[in-house]
Amino acid sequence: MTGEADTRPEEANIDTYEAMLIVIPELDEEQVENTVGRFRTIIERTGGEAGEPNHWGRRKLAYEIDHRTDGFYVVMEFTAGERTLVELKRILRVSDDVLRHMVVKLPPSYAHKPLPEPAEVTA
Amino acid sequence: MGRRRNGPPRGGRPTKSKPCVFCKENVAYVDYKDYNLLRRFVSDRGKVRARRVTGLCPQHQREAASAIKRAREMALLPYVVGR
Repeated sequence: MTGEADTRPEEANIDTYEAMLIVIPELDEEQVENTVGRFRTIIERTGGEAGEPNHWGRRKLAYEIDHRTDGFYVVMEFTAGERTLVELKRILRVSDDVLRHMVVKLPPSYAHKPLPEPAEVTA
Repeated sequence: MGRRRNGPPRGGRPTKSKPCVFCKENVAYVDYKDYNLLRRFVSDRGKVRARRVTGLCPQHQREAASAIKRAREMALLPYVVGR
């Protein structure tokens, strides 16, 4: 029994995850891409499949984190291999250029919704 | 289905049952990234609004509350406004 929302019925039991990162504002756009690229290789090396990262751009934080008032937001969907989650979370925790991260499992029925437009952009 | 009393209450204005906004739009997953939507369910102090204020059904109130908490963790919503 495959759900009507599944695009790949043979992989219907594979969970999709979503990672959101806040990258430090000291970097420039290109360095942010490199940082995200690093995590994509980790996902792919451990047997997952990384989707296109969605760059929200530089945004004001709702509160100060480590004396920083803004950061680059990046959202990325991926599927995980056996070791992906452990490895990804470990590396995210020790990365100095990532202020915060969150990995959530997406419900199987969740359709890709348009993301909120990057508001409150500063300099 | 709203869980409001049907009869007129003893005092105050009569209750109207209003369907939960998420049920009305058939929302299956309350997304923590949609912070502008979640803003409707927090007070101007940043606190989660009570169900009697938001008018959400029990299930969606719970989901909205956890979405707000996730959004706070990622600095999309504040923990406190004005200290």
